[in-house]
Amino acid sequence: MPDSRNLLVNAILSVLALFLVVLSLSTGTVQVSLPDTLKALSGNADPMTLFVVNELRLSRVMAGLLSGAALAIAGCLMQTLARNRLATPGIIGIDNAATAFAVASVVGAGLSVAPSAMALAGAAAATAIAFGLAGANGTRGYRFIVAGVGIGAIAGAVTQVMLSRVAIDAANAAYPWTVGSLNARSEHSVTILGLGLAIGCLALIATSRALNTLQFSDAVAIALGTRLKATRILGLGLSVMLTGLAVSVCGPVGLIALLAPEFARMLCRPGKMPLMAAALTGAAFMVIADLIGRTLFAPLEIPVGIITAIVGSPYLLWILLRPSPRSLT
Amino acid sequence: MSHTTTATLAAEHITLAHGQFTVAENLSIRLPPEKVTAIVGPNGCGKSTLLNGLARIHKPRSGSVLLDGKDIHRLPSKDVARKLALLPQDNSAPEGLTVADLVRFGRQPHQGWMKQWSVEDQQAFEAAIRAADVSDLSERALDTLSGGQRQRAWIAMAVAQQTPLLLLDEPTSALDLGHQIEVFELIRTLSQQGKTIAMVVHDLASACRYADHMIAMKAGEVIEEGAPAHIVSPELVRELYGVQCDLIPDPSTGSPLLVNVRRCT
Amino acid sequence: MLIVLASLLYGAGPVSAAQAFSALTGDGTSDATFVVTELRLPRTLIAMTTGLALGLAGALLQSMTRNPLAEPGLLGVSAGSGFAVALAILLGATTTTLTTLVAQAGALAGCALVIATTRVQGLGNDPVRLILAGATMTGLLLALTSMMMLMDQRAADEIRFWITGSVAGKPLAILKATLPSIVLALTLIVLVARPLAAMALGEKAALGLGHHPGRIRFLITITVALLVGSATALAGPLIFVGLVVPFIARAFSGPDIRKTLWLCVPVGPAVVLGADVISRLVAAPAEMPLGVVTALIGAPVLLTIVRSGRMPSL
Repeated sequence: MPDSRNLLVNAILSVLALFLVVLSLSTGTVQVSLPDTLKALSGNADPMTLFVVNELRLSRVMAGLLSGAALAIAGCLMQTLARNRLATPGIIGIDNAATAFAVASVVGAGLSVAPSAMALAGAAAATAIAFGLAGANGTRGYRFIVAGVGIGAIAGAVTQVMLSRVAIDAANAAYPWTVGSLNARSEHSVTILGLGLAIGCLALIATSRALNTLQFSDAVAIALGTRLKATRILGLGLSVMLTGLAVSVCGPVGLIALLAPEFARMLCRPGKMPLMAAALTGAAFMVIADLIGRTLFAPLEIPVGIITAIVGSPYLLWILLRPSPRSLT
Repeated sequence: MSHTTTATLAAEHITLAHGQFTVAENLSIRLPPEKVTAIVGPNGCGKSTLLNGLARIHKPRSGSVLLDGKDIHRLPSKDVARKLALLPQDNSAPEGLTVADLVRFGRQPHQGWMKQWSVEDQQAFEAAIRAADVSDLSERALDTLSGGQRQRAWIAMAVAQQTPLLLLDEPTSALDLGHQIEVFELIRTLSQQGKTIAMVVHDLASACRYADHMIAMKAGEVIEEGAPAHIVSPELVRELYGVQCDLIPDPSTGSPLLVNVRRCT
Repeated sequence: MLIVLASLLYGAGPVSAAQAFSALTGDGTSDATFVVTELRLPRTLIAMTTGLALGLAGALLQSMTRNPLAEPGLLGVSAGSGFAVALAILLGATTTTLTTLVAQAGALAGCALVIATTRVQGLGNDPVRLILAGATMTGLLLALTSMMMLMDQRAADEIRFWITGSVAGKPLAILKATLPSIVLALTLIVLVARPLAAMALGEKAALGLGHHPGRIRFLITITVALLVGSATALAGPLIFVGLVVPFIARAFSGPDIRKTLWLCVPVGPAVVLGADVISRLVAAPAEMPLGVVTALIGAPVLLTIVRSGRMPSL
């Protein structure tokens, strides 16, 4: 069934995201004009511009683009599974746990496991624990969220323990993760994130119809022929995977997972999970937040996690505190 | 709108439980085809649990629910959804969802990987909108509708599934008298078009008036079953609800009418 | 009492328990006497005061908001106070008295915000939204604090020491600076305890019994701000203490807020002191930040409260 409004929204968001990418590529200590940036991308510019755009900036912007999209999709999925707009991976403590594990792999002397794998393990562990503690209600209901808040607090504390116990150099190497920054990424984990995102998108396209029925109560979803358990496990698994991989690149920039779906929902036709629009919005957010962080107090760089927290928290508070938000729970 | 296919639904020796608490034990019922069956009984007698059991939402601890003679839990969920539609009690919808969007969801069981929205889907969608009389509302968001309109929209979704079987859990709870009648008459019409319908009803009087077949439950057991005119008696009312009453036939339809309801002395 | 002894007897320094004991009784070696009376005694006293203040503040907040998860740390009161202190340090404040005042001002702002939040229609009855609002506030304030740390490397080290929470290395002077506020807060609690117990029946019932809910709320806000501000000035923001202490106290006292408050008086100091002892022993010879220990102790308690189905009732 064609849906012209959503197509239009996605087209506009794609253009916006692309524009931000180019803008971000052109901006920095060395300013490159927009036309020159485009030329550099297509491969014909002077060596200096080529180096700045393609070598220095492109990989960073790509990392932002991919992690923003992954976090937004993960958030959108989790919100639908919990049928609660506040239940995003960041709030449920998955980000913090993934960070704790990633930090462990950076500071841990004996550990040589890649941060991606560790972050994934952390994300999975946090989700499993939150599930276990939530009891029979599963992802529904407040227990899952409050259990997640507790797990997040423990994971945060563990991260601090690790940082306070290791040599200052190792601590400094791991610090960016704890606030969320695109500076700390390794090329390796960006590649893995890209792969994960591609697999995730395929799985989402294949199951989008069943996933959409999860917006209703369980009984309605079953009555419409959805295999509830399988669909939920798939959705949760994808959400955890994308969060873990994104965190291994950019750290716990959890608010993206909340803000991007929220924006997407405002723009799109209601009734469907706006996964595509959320991914594009998340990517755009991440790129622009990174751009602001790099340029606002240059040469000092503000980590992207701090920018999103300062911009996003007031909005989150507004969602929480505005009177009678019937749709919250 | 006629259905060439019919389907039978029956429960055989099912035991239903919530955790440790057994709601009903060893229940066996079957729904008479192309009739409206009302399940009645006092609060907590297990009538909604039974309906959810029949609709495969609640898995019985033992025994089996048979759809066309086959165990419903062994059939692919999508196949079941093409034969059996359910209107549950808890039907919250995403914010801003329009009636048309909701009704389109009813076509999901008929769609698949390679089968996108087809001419057949469009026809069924339009027929359901007409049957439930929600054409004027189709672009409205669900949360802006009145209770009766919203309930009709949900019924339209179930109708769009084009199933021979339709189960409804308290379709008229929280509706005022006018809206109740609206919904019950729609149910009657659907039954006349050949659907087999079962509904949990709170109000005994409406059950008497709109059902062909009645299952009276108390404390997890079926204590009486049959046409309302045959089974509803002052004794049954007393056993179910602990009140005394007199019964007279409805002057226009002949169905039993409860009058002079009072506490037992 | 046992924990007090333990706190004095065990520690990271090369002083054995026996030596410490003799130092206490007056005839130890001069080294041991120095470690015990000059280093550990102040630390013990500060930990006890912090525990007392946070425990009482938690009990008051929970009673007033009728929300068992209302906790100064979780709700952002401590973060507000910590943020204010970080700001003061950045602007060059060094004296302990000033820090205390600033911490209290920050706590007051945070506290007022929380109370305003619970007054929003429907929110007071919704523990989860309150917690999330608090977590968001905390996140925002931490982000702002981090930004200040990035701006000024020198202040960063001092602030970083603050925001994890510790009772070590603080002079007794800081305790003296907070003492008046704590005494004032305790007096207010004595005054407000009875009306507060009536508030547990609902605002209308309290009004019917001749109390003034608005005035009580105002007094409690002040009291909590004094307590949390003092505690933050003493030990930095300690998360979960205000949750754990009333939780334990309530287990013994039942729902009566007056009994709960009384029980918080011994339980609060015991919890923080216990956590401090653990923080010294676990990672010996190094020390683990106290805030980390309380978070590790508190999170399971949070989960327990959530798991016990009785949550919305208090």
